[in-house]
Amino acid sequence: MVRIIVDMNSSGAGGSGGGGASTSWVSTTSVSSSGKRIHREMAELNMEPPPDCSAGPKGDNLYNWVATVIGPAGTPYQGGIFFLDITFPSDYPFKPPKVVFKTRIYHCNVDSAGNISLDILKDNWSPALTITKVLLAIRLMFTNPNLHNPSVPGIAHLYLADRTKHDQLALEWTLRFAK
Amino acid sequence: MFKSTNVTARIFERQIHTPAPGTSVHCARRFYENMVPSFTIYDIECPDHSFRKFTDDGQYLISFSRNHQDLIVYRPTWLSFSCKEEDCSTHDLPPQAKRFESFFTQLYCVTLASCNELICKDFFLSMENNQFGLFATSTAQIHDAPANGGAIQGVPFIEKITFHLLRLEDGVVLDEKVFHNDFINLAHNMGVFLYDDLLAIVSLRYQTIHILQVGDSGKLVDVRAIGSFCREDDELFLISNSQWTETSDSSRLHPLPGAHVENGSQHNRINQDDSFLTGIKQRLLSFIFRGIWNEETDQTLRFQCLKKKFYFHFQDYVDLIIWKVQFLDRHHLLIKFGSVDGGVSRNVDNHPAFFAVYNMETTEVVAFYQNSADELYFLFEQFCDHFHATSRNSLHLNFISSHSNNVHALEQLKSIKNKTGSFPQFVKKMLASLPFGCQSQSPSPYFDQSLFRYDEKLISATDRHRQSTDHPIKFISRRQPHTLKFKIKPGPEAGTVDGRTKRISSFLFHPFLPLALSIQQTLFLQPSVVNIHIRR
Repeated sequence: MVRIIVDMNSSGAGGSGGGGASTSWVSTTSVSSSGKRIHREMAELNMEPPPDCSAGPKGDNLYNWVATVIGPAGTPYQGGIFFLDITFPSDYPFKPPKVVFKTRIYHCNVDSAGNISLDILKDNWSPALTITKVLLAIRLMFTNPNLHNPSVPGIAHLYLADRTKHDQLALEWTLRFAK
Repeated sequence: MFKSTNVTARIFERQIHTPAPGTSVHCARRFYENMVPSFTIYDIECPDHSFRKFTDDGQYLISFSRNHQDLIVYRPTWLSFSCKEEDCSTHDLPPQAKRFESFFTQLYCVTLASCNELICKDFFLSMENNQFGLFATSTAQIHDAPANGGAIQGVPFIEKITFHLLRLEDGVVLDEKVFHNDFINLAHNMGVFLYDDLLAIVSLRYQTIHILQVGDSGKLVDVRAIGSFCREDDELFLISNSQWTETSDSSRLHPLPGAHVENGSQHNRINQDDSFLTGIKQRLLSFIFRGIWNEETDQTLRFQCLKKKFYFHFQDYVDLIIWKVQFLDRHHLLIKFGSVDGGVSRNVDNHPAFFAVYNMETTEVVAFYQNSADELYFLFEQFCDHFHATSRNSLHLNFISSHSNNVHALEQLKSIKNKTGSFPQFVKKMLASLPFGCQSQSPSPYFDQSLFRYDEKLISATDRHRQSTDHPIKFISRRQPHTLKFKIKPGPEAGTVDGRTKRISSFLFHPFLPLALSIQQTLFLQPSVVNIHIRR
């Protein structure tokens, strides 16, 4: 893979010259192609954030984000604030970002460690997808769980067999762990 | 109106004059200007104990043996003797006045330490009704301990800490609570707060606030643990629901804990493998998030705001640890959060710190402030007494001077405020005293700033050791004509020969009698010099 490194010092430091100036800015928001792409996606997310969702880089590390999904109204997750860790690989967008729940959730597509079983984050990832689309997919998961490919079959089974019980439990989890 | 300070005139005045409504206690307390511990008996013959404090009802004097093994409790009595000659008041006191036993009667001596545990001489809490006392023993502190089993890195380690609940009347140990491989800051009661019958113990190492209730029969009952989880049955709920959340990986399934109910080893049993936010952090982060989300309605601005104020600092918030806790009332805790370094070191000035008000019944964070927040400072300035969660029944505890109930203390605060160059620095300095320590202030009327003025650098109601000077500490009347009422001089009468040795003094004032002990120690292991200050 080719990385394009733009030397920011040559244009920014101007007349100051000398070796000292070059250490004055060690760019952490590196300008590799993946970095550029993440920057662009951040701007896009900024312009049109999906409903109930927001995200941003943790500290000054562009590859490590936190996202927040507010439990959508009309679901048992309503009122919950769900935090997610997003890690972009260095060869993004050729590999999918890794998204993990930091808040406990009772959901058939999220395992007991917070990992999400979402096809677009695994085999069906395409470089054409963006973080906005990933957040949209996660939000959709709250309203429409994927029952055909659950990571916790027990919950999916309960969802199908006794929806009221399922929603009751999910609500209880939201109140206890996501408020 | 000019009022005489003569005691006879005052008694006469009391007979004919009804005090303004609500001031009867204040008026009665003025008599303390006439009854002062102005007579000093120097270097009394005294058992070599470390004297801790008088209980707030004045019934007991708590002391520990020098080897930190035994608790010795005394009952303060008054020196009594007979005098045959005329004009007794000018007569010298009899020789027995030089003896400690003439003032205090030993009630009992109990050995609290066992095996390699020693009494923490800086720790003692008494229950509001003074029926029970809480003491602590612990093994030695280990500094470079590995962080295992959910413990956080950088916090020291104590193999065993035992809290002993003791009936003060006869010294019977009623209950014990043991913490293994934990760290609780016991110095000056820092890590423990008692409110009515509720006890909050902060485990720094496992980041858990243990809430215990002291039963009438003297039992310590676990109420809840706030940290990994918020509600008392959250963990149980999670375990009983694990059948649904279990993945194929059966290694995640942890058996229910058996009879093992101590803290420590089973902590974070569930979160060992995963990286979920702890219960208290989830509440805190969602509170901060909601605050920013609701503050800004414009979508683009909101997004910018969240990015700058929330996501950028997300990891910093996650890394915060609980430093100290106090009760504000039976439901609300004031929790101080900070970095790991600041939780253990003494100098916390340079570390950022945050305050959260947490309702443990609804498990909600009610408020969140940084330690530089003007808003919190103004609350502190105006409503300081609300932070002093005093017991409801004890009347004299309501008279401990603070800048919210005493104009002189407020003036003092304002003069410090005007002297300080930068206001944010001042706010940080003032808020550093929050959360308040539990039972750290003497209710003695001689520290009432509406009655007496004294140098707070040398002596104050706050229970602390202070560096000693050879000059006596003056207590000057607040009222005109500001006369010197009495002096407290620690150490030997003639002063010390060796002026270079550093001497440390501590003062124990009886809560209402004109009786005080001053204890002066040199840093070496010499016996201390104890003076008794009484009204003759």
